[in-house]
Amino acid sequence: MKLGIFYSDLRGNHDMLFRLKGEKIGVFLVGNGIYHATIKEKGEPSPILQKKEIDYYVLSEDLSTRGFSTDEVDSDIKVITYSDLTDLIMNDYDKLAWL
Amino acid sequence: MSNNILFVVQRPPYKSENPKLAITHAMSCYTADIHIDEPVEPTLAYVGDGVLNCIRDQRSQDIYGLISTEQHIKVQLSGDMKILVCKEDIERLGIKEERLVDGKDLGAEAGLNVVPFKEILKEMEICDHLMFF
Repeated sequence: MKLGIFYSDLRGNHDMLFRLKGEKIGVFLVGNGIYHATIKEKGEPSPILQKKEIDYYVLSEDLSTRGFSTDEVDSDIKVITYSDLTDLIMNDYDKLAWL
Repeated sequence: MSNNILFVVQRPPYKSENPKLAITHAMSCYTADIHIDEPVEPTLAYVGDGVLNCIRDQRSQDIYGLISTEQHIKVQLSGDMKILVCKEDIERLGIKEERLVDGKDLGAEAGLNVVPFKEILKEMEICDHLMFF
């Protein structure tokens, strides 16, 4: 299964995220999920970014809305637009989930 | 007699209307006192993840057509509303003070007050009414 996961909270369900398995897992950081890509709480990156096998994406429109620029995003995370997001969910993932 | 109301915002912006309601309620205090014939003094305090409301350069107006929380904060700063931001929480989240909203372009003399949490606790003790958002 190729699974795309939308993550839209700052304090979300990390346990469930890591229990989900598939041949390809992508996490889309949208809404308040963008803080995982920008904030280093106590100097540490977000725990949800620790899985190397996951492809992480962050929505540029939601970054800008909250006062962040793409320069502030961790280099392991790909910054995407709404248009990119549409292409990804139509072409790269079989199933979608919203945590 | 005056009514001091402290609005404490503990949630990050935009996901829900809750944090925005705190500032719009605080704004309404200045008209409420006309109707109840008593002064109403609002104070806003951003704590916990709520401090994320105070980051500058929010572009929600351009992208989603929403008045940004930054715009609301600036207007209130220019009207001399007292707005507190928890120092420990911005440090915990790695936010530098220069990343915070100021109202200089709207003529505000004072900016956000970054204060230790104990100062916010003190405000909770002295206010007449406490509201958590």
